Amino acid sequence: MLSRRAFIGAAAGAAATGGGMWALTVRDSVGESLGATASTTTTTSTTTTAAAAGSAVPYGDRVLVVLEMSGGNDAVNTLIPAAGAYHDNRPHLAIAEVDRVVLGGTDYTLHPSLAPIAPFWENASMAAIAGVGMVGQSRSHFKAMDTWWSAVPGTPSRTGWLGRWLDATLEAERNGVNDPLRAIALGGGSPALVGDINMATVVRDPGNFQLRTFPGTDAEALIGAFLATAEPLATVPELAAAQLAIPFTIDAVELLASVSGADDGSEVFRAGPQGGATSAVDLLDTAAGIIDLGIGTRVITVGISAFDTHADQLARHEGLLADVGTGLAGFFDRLESDGNADKVMVVTTSEFGRRVQENGSGGTDHGNGGLQFVFGPEVAGQQVIGDLDLVDLDNGDLVSAIDTRSVYSTALDWLGGPVDEILGGSHEDLGLLTA
Amino acid sequence: MTTRDEIAWLARRAGWGLAPGRLDELVALGTDAVIDLLVEPTNNGIATEDSPWATFEYVDDREQRQTQGLDVLNRWVTHLLDTERAFENSLAWFWHDHFAVSFQVVQHLPTLIEHLDLIRDQGLGDFRELIRAVSTDAAMLVFLDGATSTGSAPNENYGRELLELYTLGIGNYTENDVKAAATALTGWVVRRRLGGEVQFVDRRHDDTQQTFLGVSGVHDVDTVVEATIDHPACPGFIAGKMARHYLGAVDDSLVDDLAGSFASAGLDVATLGRGVLEAGVEGQGTPQVMAPVPWLLQAMNSTGTRLEPRAQVGLMRGMGQVPGSPPNVGGFPGASTWLASSATAARFGAANLIARETPSDSVALAAASDGRWDELADVLLRPSGLSTPTIDALDGLVGSADRPGEAALALALASPDLLIA
Repeated sequence: MLSRRAFIGAAAGAAATGGGMWALTVRDSVGESLGATASTTTTTSTTTTAAAAGSAVPYGDRVLVVLEMSGGNDAVNTLIPAAGAYHDNRPHLAIAEVDRVVLGGTDYTLHPSLAPIAPFWENASMAAIAGVGMVGQSRSHFKAMDTWWSAVPGTPSRTGWLGRWLDATLEAERNGVNDPLRAIALGGGSPALVGDINMATVVRDPGNFQLRTFPGTDAEALIGAFLATAEPLATVPELAAAQLAIPFTIDAVELLASVSGADDGSEVFRAGPQGGATSAVDLLDTAAGIIDLGIGTRVITVGISAFDTHADQLARHEGLLADVGTGLAGFFDRLESDGNADKVMVVTTSEFGRRVQENGSGGTDHGNGGLQFVFGPEVAGQQVIGDLDLVDLDNGDLVSAIDTRSVYSTALDWLGGPVDEILGGSHEDLGLLTA
Repeated sequence: MTTRDEIAWLARRAGWGLAPGRLDELVALGTDAVIDLLVEPTNNGIATEDSPWATFEYVDDREQRQTQGLDVLNRWVTHLLDTERAFENSLAWFWHDHFAVSFQVVQHLPTLIEHLDLIRDQGLGDFRELIRAVSTDAAMLVFLDGATSTGSAPNENYGRELLELYTLGIGNYTENDVKAAATALTGWVVRRRLGGEVQFVDRRHDDTQQTFLGVSGVHDVDTVVEATIDHPACPGFIAGKMARHYLGAVDDSLVDDLAGSFASAGLDVATLGRGVLEAGVEGQGTPQVMAPVPWLLQAMNSTGTRLEPRAQVGLMRGMGQVPGSPPNVGGFPGASTWLASSATAARFGAANLIARETPSDSVALAAASDGRWDELADVLLRPSGLSTPTIDALDGLVGSADRPGEAALALALASPDLLIA
């Protein structure tokens, strides 16, 4: 509902301001963004209250990657506390200590499947935020996700936290001209990207992102005609929204085709490791490819799912975290070899943590007290901020002592641009960045 | 709206499109008669239909899983294209979206089929019976973990979604209600070795009397369902969801009216469905972005095209909607997903494939070939015509394919006009 109304609103807004020329404008803005990465001078007007001093990377080149792990990742079996209560609550689900990844200097260990990201801990480019959530954190997937996306607890919001940032910086970074390639959602759309103005490009399955025609038809004429159906925009908002999607799609396909892998289309009920459309490994690899294109993309969301481990959690969670761990390691490897590692920060999200005590199905039910990770060269690493206190529980759940907006605030601050107006006031500085 | 517009609206929203010529037949019957046929097919002389999978033979063999999955999907699609009981199947699709049981979780074709048969057979009847049946349906017990929930450690998954997503909506229950439901619903298991048979195992059940939704003495599935369905929020929640599904954005007052008649009719779904369709032909709906599967089936019906099963599922997957695989318990996503770049690109490819596979004697292809755009629009169930930009674009495509009409047909199918129902 939130995203639909916002989308239609955005379409209507574009219809009112863009007129018949907007298809051309989209192409121009892509051209501009290509130029912008060559000169890196177009974003200097962006201001921020806490510039990361000493960073060599101009704000306009920075890319925030948000890895959305939907379903409610089990914090306690991801970042495992060294407490006797852990084994007491998890007789079937406890991970043997000998298998876990040691996080030096802390009371925590990582799930063995996250071994691929241990080097980030070692080189101090990774931090964990434990016991994190939103005010009034809900145990409903949908309500919790809405709040994590909007960052407006308690009241319905049309827009998402990233969408508002993209809107707020549009004037400074793109002279107010919408560029759907500034924000790309991989694996599925993210309501976090919905703004009043912002339109994101959604690539559900990078291996299958193309405009397919068949031999014996004039592909160029068909694609040209497809584009022509989009203008002038209709007055019916839904029809206008359907029109508006077309040029954005054509531009995105042309630009992104070069980073997409192949898809043999052989599976019927196709799934990533745990039922999601595509794996974190593939999606993060595509994200690295997009960053290397240098088309001015500022925000990438990567959507993976199936963290709702009510049953058979041991095996399922192992697979899910292996996908995340391998995906992140491969992502930073590729960034490093492409020379882009300095430009990127990764933040993970998940709508809630799970109940401390396991249920009878070898799983865990919806809880509170979530977990986030932050990665990047400017992250003040080797810290676990907050805690997963298994003793002082609230109705069987971990407490969310840290407000997610503090983490968002750090990420947006690093990205550049206004923060407080986007997140409804200032939020605690968690010390997540190196000064 | 003219009668022709009304019938076309019904065919787009409450059906699976129409083969060429069928619109004329239905217009001759008139709108009221068509709604009767949709809502009460049996009482209006339309025979009940066998399950799409009546002759499907399951083979428990990993090697054949691929082929079997394709076969199950293709039978479903064929049934939807051929059915004379369009609304019954449309409601089954609505319930599929509502309950959102996914093969990714169920992982057993006969169990999924049984669930799909259940929501088709009972989907137009008594909502209370539907919820009771779904609550101990093998697919649901696996999907939301009822099958592994025990009295000593209840699993809250089904109890929560029963309240939040299936009957009442958030704000109408407490966390304690979720826990009480989870406890009272324990004891049901699915015997996979017996082909997915559902059994009640007393020793896995906690029969403690619970207070649930303010009702005391709740202790088992029947009492949970009674208390849930009797909750005053239930008729409005279901009426609102169905109204938005068929009509798009609607006024609260319409939902209140629909809920009132739904409640008075003892939660008879056909009564609610009739109210929704009548409101629609009265123009109380808003334009709606079509989901990929209905869009695809309507395109296939209008052009008389049948696709190779593997290609067919490839198109659905590309557009982001595969029957039997809702992405999560919230069901299929909505308009913003269907308008996103991925789905838009995939729809363009799908339109091209359908045009390529359209039989040469197709009325739609002939109209496209001759540039008779009004006739093409009518066959595509847009009797009041296509938009000016689409017509202009079609005019520019003459001669763009080796087979006359193919490029224009592809474009018409891919056009924004066809995406809006």
